[in-house]
Amino acid sequence: MLTPLLVLCINLSYGQEKTISGNVTDQNGLPLPGVNVLVVGTTNGTQTDFDGNYTISASEGDVLRFSYLGQRSVDRTVGVSDTIDVQMEEDAQALEEVVVVGYGTRSQELSTAAVSTVKTESIESFVPSTSLDNILQGQAAGVQVTAANGRPGNTAFVQIRGVGSINAQTTPLYVIDGTPIPIDSERNFNPINNLNPNDIESLSILKDAATVSKYGSRGANGVVLITTKKGRSGEARINFRSSYGFGERVPDPFDLMDASQKLELERQFADLGVNAAQSLPGAAASPERLAVLRSLDTNWEEELLRKSVIQSNSLTVSGGSEDLTYFLSLGYDKNTGIIDRIDGFERLSTRLNTTYQAKEWLNLGANISVSRSTTDLPRDRNNVQNPIRALYDYNPYEPLFLRDASGNFVFDNQGEMIFNPTSSGFPIARALLTEPEDNRNLLLVGNLSADIKLSDKFSNRFSVGLVSNRFNRTNRSIAGGVLQGFIGDANFPGEQTDNFALDFEYNVNNLFTYTDTFNELHNLTASFLLEYNENIRTDLFATSRGFPSPDIPYQEVAAEPTAAGSEEDRRILFSQGLFVDYDFDGRYIISGSIRRDGSSRFGPDNKYGYFYSGSAAWNIANENFMEGSVFNNLKLRGSYGTSGNQNIGDNEFLNLLQFNTYNGLTTAIPIGVGNPQIQWESQEIFDVGLEFGLFNNRINGVVDYFKKNSKDLLLDRPLSQTIGDEDNSILANIGEVENSGIEVSINADVVRGENFVWSVGGNVTFLDNEVKELVDGDDIINGNTILREGEEINSFYLVRYAGVNPANGEPLYLDTDGNVTNEYSDGFQVLLPGKSPNADFEGGFNTSLRFMGFGLRGDFIFKAGNYITNFQRSAGISIGNIDSNQRVEAFNYWKQPGDQDVLPSPLFANTADQGGTTRFLEKGDYIRLRTLTLDYNLPSEFLRDFGINSFRFFVTGQNLFTISEYKGDPEIGLGSAETAEPGDQGFVPGEFSLFSYPQTRSYTFGVEIGF
Amino acid sequence: MKNYIFKITVLLVSLGFIACDDELNDLQPFTEGNPETFFNSVATFQNGVDGIYSQLVNYYSHPSNGMQGIPDILSDNVILVQTGRRSNEDYYDWRYVPNTAGAIPLYWSEAYEAVNAANLVISQIDNLADSPEKNNILGQALAARAYAHFDLARTYAQIPSQSSGAGSSPGIVYVKVEDGDTGDPFAQPARETVDSNYAEIIGDLERASQLIADDNGEGRLDRDGVFGILSRVYLYNGDYQKAIDAANQVTVPLATAAELPDVYTDVSSAGLVFELAINSATETINNNVGVLYSQSNASAVISEYAIEFDFWNSIDPNDLRRNVLQFVGNNQGNDYNAVLKFLGEAGQVNGRVDIKVLRAAEVLLNKAEAQFELGQETAALGSLDMLRDQRFTSYTGGETGQALEDAIQFNRRVELAFEGHRFFDLKRRGEAITRSNNGDIIDGSGTPPEVLTLAAGDFRFQLPIPIDEVNANPNLAQNDGY
Repeated sequence: MLTPLLVLCINLSYGQEKTISGNVTDQNGLPLPGVNVLVVGTTNGTQTDFDGNYTISASEGDVLRFSYLGQRSVDRTVGVSDTIDVQMEEDAQALEEVVVVGYGTRSQELSTAAVSTVKTESIESFVPSTSLDNILQGQAAGVQVTAANGRPGNTAFVQIRGVGSINAQTTPLYVIDGTPIPIDSERNFNPINNLNPNDIESLSILKDAATVSKYGSRGANGVVLITTKKGRSGEARINFRSSYGFGERVPDPFDLMDASQKLELERQFADLGVNAAQSLPGAAASPERLAVLRSLDTNWEEELLRKSVIQSNSLTVSGGSEDLTYFLSLGYDKNTGIIDRIDGFERLSTRLNTTYQAKEWLNLGANISVSRSTTDLPRDRNNVQNPIRALYDYNPYEPLFLRDASGNFVFDNQGEMIFNPTSSGFPIARALLTEPEDNRNLLLVGNLSADIKLSDKFSNRFSVGLVSNRFNRTNRSIAGGVLQGFIGDANFPGEQTDNFALDFEYNVNNLFTYTDTFNELHNLTASFLLEYNENIRTDLFATSRGFPSPDIPYQEVAAEPTAAGSEEDRRILFSQGLFVDYDFDGRYIISGSIRRDGSSRFGPDNKYGYFYSGSAAWNIANENFMEGSVFNNLKLRGSYGTSGNQNIGDNEFLNLLQFNTYNGLTTAIPIGVGNPQIQWESQEIFDVGLEFGLFNNRINGVVDYFKKNSKDLLLDRPLSQTIGDEDNSILANIGEVENSGIEVSINADVVRGENFVWSVGGNVTFLDNEVKELVDGDDIINGNTILREGEEINSFYLVRYAGVNPANGEPLYLDTDGNVTNEYSDGFQVLLPGKSPNADFEGGFNTSLRFMGFGLRGDFIFKAGNYITNFQRSAGISIGNIDSNQRVEAFNYWKQPGDQDVLPSPLFANTADQGGTTRFLEKGDYIRLRTLTLDYNLPSEFLRDFGINSFRFFVTGQNLFTISEYKGDPEIGLGSAETAEPGDQGFVPGEFSLFSYPQTRSYTFGVEIGF
Repeated sequence: MKNYIFKITVLLVSLGFIACDDELNDLQPFTEGNPETFFNSVATFQNGVDGIYSQLVNYYSHPSNGMQGIPDILSDNVILVQTGRRSNEDYYDWRYVPNTAGAIPLYWSEAYEAVNAANLVISQIDNLADSPEKNNILGQALAARAYAHFDLARTYAQIPSQSSGAGSSPGIVYVKVEDGDTGDPFAQPARETVDSNYAEIIGDLERASQLIADDNGEGRLDRDGVFGILSRVYLYNGDYQKAIDAANQVTVPLATAAELPDVYTDVSSAGLVFELAINSATETINNNVGVLYSQSNASAVISEYAIEFDFWNSIDPNDLRRNVLQFVGNNQGNDYNAVLKFLGEAGQVNGRVDIKVLRAAEVLLNKAEAQFELGQETAALGSLDMLRDQRFTSYTGGETGQALEDAIQFNRRVELAFEGHRFFDLKRRGEAITRSNNGDIIDGSGTPPEVLTLAAGDFRFQLPIPIDEVNANPNLAQNDGY
């Protein structure tokens, strides 16, 4: 009773109470509803209404405090005026305080986990990309991103803290707003490339046991939590963004021959007596004919490639009332790609995220997104069907269209020019038109959730997520086309295959949470998780032949169906988990988790597995003795725990029979030896980290040390082929690999002025790995790489090249004992210690300047210590390939005794034309300016009159320059997609280059308008 | 109200526990079968047997490495065409090593898969009640198992008749479920001897000949097929009288000269004793065996290998087989002696045709050669003339001694050209492979072969054991020389 009286007394003594009113806006001048307004020192408070208006009783001299989540609090002293308007500012520090971790959020201060957060809001304007995994590149410590290749719409290889598995997939688990996304890199199924990056609020990368253990048997490759944008209470905000640009192949650091050079090389080879060159025009053609050929000089890059057109448009509308928020987005992206005569990639996407406070105790949420993409897939293989190989292979004296002996065009019956089959016999430019492949994906991702507040201490969250992807592919071989000529049936011209696949996954999850505080110091949260996840995939295809017209791409009109098939797969994962977090006064924090997973992928004896973690943190900055230090944040944390990897095929534990046909009759053949003993790969992760922020977070960073032991790796134990197993191996839990490393990331605002901000940031990951255990200690050799105990994962296994014998130009090699020999044998392959496709360190750094309305930001990525076998170079200077175009370098062969630093003499084609040698093993180190963006924001005073809140122009260049010694493009994921791709035995991203879709350089211009 | 929600939540959570575990345990494969329970009727057993044939098809009809053609590429019947893709050049130049891709790993792996499929059928055969149908299933499985082993043995090991020490030289692994050779996926068997291999091959075939039905339809083994194979295996093994006896059991008549062209376009099945059939309407993938020799389209015939100049020109103009061997293929302005066999079914150039594994003509030639080896020259000449009567408009004949042997061998070369015999015939007879120095173009100009001869007895007559096998199974010794 005393307190109000006292207040009254004080008020009486200091002044007359009056009614103050005003309007609160955000930094863009938009009304901000729900702002708390409080008379400091009293319980007298109110909130702003929907239009940002408030009224409150206060007296002159009182202090009004305006506070709102994510905004810097503002204090105003009541003066004579009855009106106080306030414009609030975003508090970057406050926004970062919450970190998204597994199954919920946690305040950054109380987190015990190593989590990297990438706020796409802060970088999206700088990083134009159609796929969100590419955005991650160079942005977060411990995350290794390698662009698969330059094909638009392709996804990247993302690895968190190194290669955690040898055979099971190493892609992290992606979870969008609580819904896990099924990815199967083995069949190129990755819905991530169908998400609109503009919809994403933040990406949280979970790296250590404290968080990934909560994902149990799916956590071993790390987890990427994707949070999409939500509306905020207030008037609708409309944002429109549009950009347009061009792309081209990143130029090669070497030259191909022109017509005169190539003809000259043929002549030289023929003179030397090289068999394969004798009948080539450089050697055999008459002088008149040679003159014609020289004049036909063709740049095949110009004939087969083009400048790609890159377009991106997005429109978002967001806002809400007190009970309801919404975020609606529409996106359109197009990238024609650089290969001429095909369409490239196109995507339409839309999303609606809503929340509704249905009852005081019940909050409902629904996030739904739908997107459709189409893409065509040019052949990405090492043969004549690959347009990229063609541009290097086709002789420059062979023009795009067929000419007669005197160089005049030849016409067909319709009077059209005829595509030149070239000496490859396969006119690729025409094949791109007659062998179209068209892929369509329709992706639906949805999440429905209900948050139920049962009491102050108990709450429950129930959510259902679903992912449904419909895949259609139409693969045509048009009658009269290039392939039909070779493999078609003369009586049934034209062939078409239609594939249909439906991937459907649903995830039901319930999290029951108890939160309590004891003695105001001990804070405890415990959650119990139940989760059921089922994936169903159905697949259909049909092939027909005999099409009356290339204009009717439907199988109904085909003369006869030739093949059809159907398939269905299901898998189930059922889990329970218990997660506990405790802290003492925000200073000492411990967390623990345990999870039990049951998976249909394993046999009856191994269906269930347990995964656990324990972690602790000490907020040193919160200790009394740190009072007044420069550190505003200093936290030491550590974690240890287990997780698993079950990214293997279904039914590997069973012996199975496969059905097919022979001469139209049903066949049943054994397809392999099942292993009932297999279970998930397990992993132990240890991590210690130090987080720090100095000078009011002007400098902040994180340093982590980790050691990750992946055990019970599912390895294909090679079997004697006399067993007759389909793939001559049996899957077994045998191997162990260890990854350890140090991650550092630092950001600093070097200058923090009112009109001028200069900040720099960067991260680097040093990674070491070692194969600890293999089947019986035996090496596993996968072509040119090897797994050997005690050595780096996927070390190169090649024949050592010992240069050219200066006396006669013969290539020399080292045998296994290290003796120089003029013979070549695959038996000379040895492990090259420390040389592997794995980088020793990699990362990214950026710097940005902001002056008045202008901004400039550059993002660099770098990688060092990895090696690449440059098969593409091997093909470009191969003596046996004299019938194809060559690199200019090929002239530099041995000519006379004493010649050094030369290519082998063409007389030794048999021993010289060997790709799997150290001759073509090159360092893959590079630094690349991934993006450089210049932008300008029009000052708001110019815009207000037009009802526009913001107006921004930007220009972005991508892959503008690269520093590297590699004789090609060092940024390699897929060497040759159809030769070796994820899921193939021994596939290692970045192992070799061999005419895959090249990386591109692009220039984009865009505008962004906010209403 | 809240209390109510609380209780419901707890109830749902508890129920969830039980229901989901059942779902998890009951999940079964959708598109595959269970090898323990599937074989329970004659029909399903025949599915298993047809599976064995399909495994043979995998290595016989392969468009790049098919066994229907590689033995010719390894021989003196063809020449590498410079304007082709230079496919199989490592084989043509005898440069193969244990990790050479193509035929070497393909045959080893696929033939043993056929053996595995056969052993699965054989091991469960007693699921059927005794009947002629059961015998026929068992007979087919035994014969197919023997044939796959025979292909392995003649490819990767010496052939008994090849040299005096061949019989005791390392053979292959003969996997028989009856002997307990199966069941352990981690087994690392060592090589047996060539003699032991041929004894087991012959044992299986002889047993099969007692069980198998007279006619099982297109694409399957039957009594004629088993005796046909036996005539070849006995010949390889030097059992000449048995080769003659087996040949005499084959009832399939020779294809006449008029029928012969239709045989190679699958219009006629005259003279076919054992073929691996391709349903050219539905089995269109990976079955274009003719692609080994050439790929054709409307404007060009892109030959990989053309007929060797001397060989082609040594064939008598009166020999009607010229019509099925050669056509003129043009590519980049050059004409070639392109291989006509396996160009495609009638009217086709896609290379997709049935695999002619064994024809009556071969059986007759096996018999003639065996008769000659036994000194029965008159009989041998008679057998040869039976064939020549159907193949020539006119011929002189009447050879004796060496001339007769040469005539038998030359007719064998012509008759069976490009069907996967020549390398093995030279190998088993211990002869060298000698190519002429002519070029690849139709008039003998162009580029000659890089390597002209493979000397008799060269280790390369035994293809290397694939590197993967040697790595996975240290007990299995590599062939000499590799």
